[in-house]
Amino acid sequence: MAVAPVQDVVLDSRKGILWDLARNPKFVFGGSVFMALLLTALIASLFIDPALRRSGSFEPRLPPGQGTLMGTTSLGQSVAIQLTEAIPNSVLVGLIAAAVGTVLGALIGFVSGYFGGKVDALLRMLIDVFLSVPSLLFLILIAALVRNVNVISMALIIGAFAWPSPARQVRAQVLSLKERGFVQVARLSGMNGMEIIFLELMPHMFQWLGANFVNAFIAAVLAESGLSILGLGPQREMTLGMMIYWALSYSAIFQNLWWWWLAPVISLMALFLSLYLVHIGFDEVSNPRLRAEG
Amino acid sequence: MNPYVRFIGQRFILFLETIFISMTVVFFVPRLVPGDPMGAIFTNMASVGGSMNAQAMVAEYRVRFGLDQPLWAQYVSYWRELARGNLGISISAFPAEVTGMLMSALPWTVGLLLVTTLISWTLGSVIGAVIGWRGRKAGAMRLLVPIALVLYTTPYYILALILVFVFAYLWPIFPLSGAYSVGARPGFNVDFILDVLHHAVLPALSILLVSLGWWFLSMRSLIISLKGEDYILNAEAMGIKEQRILWGYAYRNALLPQTTGLAISLGHIVGGALITEVIFAYPGIGYRIYNAIKSLDYPLIQGGVLLIIISVALANFLIDSAYPLIDPRIRYEGSGGS
Repeated sequence: MAVAPVQDVVLDSRKGILWDLARNPKFVFGGSVFMALLLTALIASLFIDPALRRSGSFEPRLPPGQGTLMGTTSLGQSVAIQLTEAIPNSVLVGLIAAAVGTVLGALIGFVSGYFGGKVDALLRMLIDVFLSVPSLLFLILIAALVRNVNVISMALIIGAFAWPSPARQVRAQVLSLKERGFVQVARLSGMNGMEIIFLELMPHMFQWLGANFVNAFIAAVLAESGLSILGLGPQREMTLGMMIYWALSYSAIFQNLWWWWLAPVISLMALFLSLYLVHIGFDEVSNPRLRAEG
Repeated sequence: MNPYVRFIGQRFILFLETIFISMTVVFFVPRLVPGDPMGAIFTNMASVGGSMNAQAMVAEYRVRFGLDQPLWAQYVSYWRELARGNLGISISAFPAEVTGMLMSALPWTVGLLLVTTLISWTLGSVIGAVIGWRGRKAGAMRLLVPIALVLYTTPYYILALILVFVFAYLWPIFPLSGAYSVGARPGFNVDFILDVLHHAVLPALSILLVSLGWWFLSMRSLIISLKGEDYILNAEAMGIKEQRILWGYAYRNALLPQTTGLAISLGHIVGGALITEVIFAYPGIGYRIYNAIKSLDYPLIQGGVLLIIISVALANFLIDSAYPLIDPRIRYEGSGGS
């Protein structure tokens, strides 16, 4: 095989990230399942008469197929119609919370790793502490105090506690990057701390932050369903966690209304599995050594 | 100084920091949330305790936690009461002490978690090591990898729902809920213990299977990455038996990151297990918190949260303290920090 000129290799890896992702089977499969779930729900919700969302719109406790696609609840709501609202809402919680958590975490990690010294000591202590304490506990405390959470406020609360893990990893990355030549050159050429962080270091982290974002997304959807099952979810809106909460509070399992609780359970599992595959795909692309292991 | 003592000392400081910071967060959260939730809590207290001298209850609360005083004084008295083990008074079960209510629930949670975590961690590590070592030669056993992946991505409480449906409804061989039969007299006798175990099977299984998936996957990838190391190749070249290389060389070296993984993910395990208790109405801290949420009993919610934070921090410290037993380098060379 002929030796490729160095310039070509560099250019190739530049167009690489998206290109590599598009060719990664795990990323493509996970991404497709995820998009299929979300788009089906979103498109279907466009065609649904809002009046049908009210309880009592259908005969209660109908099994799937008899008049409605996925059966009805004890309150006479269609499970299929609830799903079209619940899936996008759960995804929205994940998106907002992951965005808030990743941005906060990246910021804290950058500051901690770049400035070092006492700032780093303090921030590292905070990161260690919040990593070891289950964030669900703080979420329970806050959600129990904020009456009438909605999807957005819930997402913000979850996001506010999603920063420790991105912060720790960004910090480690910055520590290794900041000793590299190009950062030294930037410092010598008179750039200040913030300029170096945003212009020199940030671009190296995007790819990595992507994988982390998906991770935070999964954790946020998980937190949403957990909080909702505990009774701290948005009572007036539908999320996948709230669907399980209502099904449980009407003891759907023991009334043999399996379609009611199984629909959100299967949707959640599909969501987690597809996002997890996307995450693995991201990891494999940004860390090629993983690919060899299969 | 003895490096082991120094190592434990560092970990103990982290333990104290964790307690201090999280207790402080718990103190400030209700005071920072907009909309005067503390006022709402007292309104709720007064309305719930309407029949049983609510005034006295609220007054008692104000005195104990010094709520008329400035913030710093409240903070000081908060620590004083915590140090005495006083977590306040329940609203829903006034005038019961929160500490007492939680102490009766704690053994169920700790028992369930301790047993399931020990079993799943040990089992997952051993199976993961075997499959990782054999690699492509593992044959049909490699099917465990996708199964573990599915299990690991399933939240405990989702698996719990499925287990309840299958083994308590469709094929009712296990009880639906609770930790022991209604009417059973708690005591240290064979009947009661068997009853408790029978009730614990499904909750335990839902936690065990999910975390087993994770320990399996992580040990497998650790062993795979160790296989190419020089000391393993050297051991092979020396003609040491394969089983001895796996367990004496590869497995022992993978055990340290695997233990670190346990310390890191303990919080997630506990968080997920708390919700699993709700599905099974298992009378641990998670179920207490769930009931407290339903009856707007904030002191009980807060007490439960505090107790879990302290337990997790303590468990993390204990796991960390075990490192030197696994990794002799810490004993001889001093610690590597965090």
